[in-house]
Amino acid sequence: MTPPTHRHTLEIRDLSVRVGESEILSGINADIRCGEVTALVGPNGAGKTTLLLAILGLVPYRGEIRFCRAAEHGEGAPRIGYVPQRLDFDRNAPMRVIDFFALSSQRYPVVFGHSARSRRSAEEILARVGAAQLISRPLGKLSGGELQRILLALALRDNPDILLLDEPVSGVDLSGEVVFCDFLSQIHSESGFSLLLVSHDLSVVSRHADRVICLNRQIICQGATTEMLTPENLEAMYGSGAHLVSHGPVDGSGHLHGQSASGQEEEKGD
Amino acid sequence: MTQSLLDPLFSAMGHLLPFGFAEPLFMKRAILAMLFVAPAAAAAGVPLVHFRMAFFSDAIGHSAFTGVAIGVLLGVHPLLTMVAFGLFVAWAITLVKGRTELSPDTVIGVFFSTVIALGIAVISAQKGLTRNLQAYLYGDLLAVSETELLWMGMLLVAVGAYLFLAFNKIMLIGVHEGFAKSMGVPVRGLEISFALVVALVVTTAIRAVGILLVTALLVVPAAAARNVAHGIVSAFWAAIAIAVVSGLLGIAASYYLDTATGATVVLFAAAFFAITALLKGLSRT
Repeated sequence: MTPPTHRHTLEIRDLSVRVGESEILSGINADIRCGEVTALVGPNGAGKTTLLLAILGLVPYRGEIRFCRAAEHGEGAPRIGYVPQRLDFDRNAPMRVIDFFALSSQRYPVVFGHSARSRRSAEEILARVGAAQLISRPLGKLSGGELQRILLALALRDNPDILLLDEPVSGVDLSGEVVFCDFLSQIHSESGFSLLLVSHDLSVVSRHADRVICLNRQIICQGATTEMLTPENLEAMYGSGAHLVSHGPVDGSGHLHGQSASGQEEEKGD
Repeated sequence: MTQSLLDPLFSAMGHLLPFGFAEPLFMKRAILAMLFVAPAAAAAGVPLVHFRMAFFSDAIGHSAFTGVAIGVLLGVHPLLTMVAFGLFVAWAITLVKGRTELSPDTVIGVFFSTVIALGIAVISAQKGLTRNLQAYLYGDLLAVSETELLWMGMLLVAVGAYLFLAFNKIMLIGVHEGFAKSMGVPVRGLEISFALVVALVVTTAIRAVGILLVTALLVVPAAAARNVAHGIVSAFWAAIAIAVVSGLLGIAASYYLDTATGATVVLFAAAFFAITALLKGLSRT
């Protein structure tokens, strides 16, 4: 799958993040390569979201995050697409899906209406993610799965070099999850961006990821997916009692159980 | 100079509002002040409500206690020191909020009490200041000077220009900060600049409706508009319309009922909120 020479690589070197007195991440070294799907797994509070925020430049960090682009593929800063785990916005906000698209694509204020260009690009990309019918719906009334598609459409609109997905299937039911992941692999194979995916769901990871980074405040292990998801590594990350259980229609894989009682709660702002 | 700038506006108002209450010059000034301040406050109020910053706006409003006191102490126009101090407090809150793990409302709460305490301490030490403060506490729209009118006109232009450039980006930050950042939005700079613009609006609008009610002028029209609007376009223009209509109705009613102008304006805006809330309830059933 992996092309022999990479169009671009995101190199993370000796990265550490402190918030107040506590060290959330330390000694992180990893390469996120073009065209690969890298999964970031680890228990609640492991610093997965924080690592994404550091890549986005939203939390201060020490160490280096370098973006290396092969000369023949242009230059400049990488375009990073980001799909957050959940939108902590006001569900009653008077905002339609088209408003949300126009906010990020047109220069003059959305209060003067939507530009023809922003409407056209919204229609195109929504059709691509199979969500064309949502364009006039209020953002706050969408289901978890619909909202994920909208966010993914926006993240894909500007042809990102790197796509960061934080728990893309949390808040989506199991069938929606399978559809979303299959759709994501299809888009990914067409576009060839590098995909960094935070997931609790090891079925998603084992089906779709080329590489896995196991994280618990530092890197426990990283490498090819098949070699990394061993009982020893899982125990090192999640503590003893962690195991894979079969779950729903996905063959030979499943959700990880044996974490804290809060289950899928993610480390917001850790 | 001031006179010559405003005269054409006053004569135009004579034609547009041929009502008894709009005849005296002080009423013309009050109406014009409201036409400058209300749309600026409502326009800033739309992203403010989106950001859930009503408490922030209230804290800036109450910083006017200290701002006015400093002005009187230094012998400069209290409007100047009120605006300057309001901007300082807005900047300080935003800075501290970004560097602490405390929740935003805790940070604002600390500043809120500090600026009121400081203002009361200064005022109580200076005999005669209390009477001066009344006009700021309840607002004094009917005594607005022409210099203040010009200042309010400039505020409307400034807020309009700022929102023209920044509205989209600010609304995007309100949905999700990290997401906005990934879209190339300069989050920190916009947070600080928006806080300063809110401070400018709040401290200027205090002249119209007073410290106690100033947040209402920003929040209530935007909240009422939310009840009936489905998208950003209608929410924004409905908020502006509700603010302007409440402003004019409030001034007229206060003239005939002899009530405090600022309070009457806010009551009309609140009535709009109640009506739109009922409409929303009816449309659901």
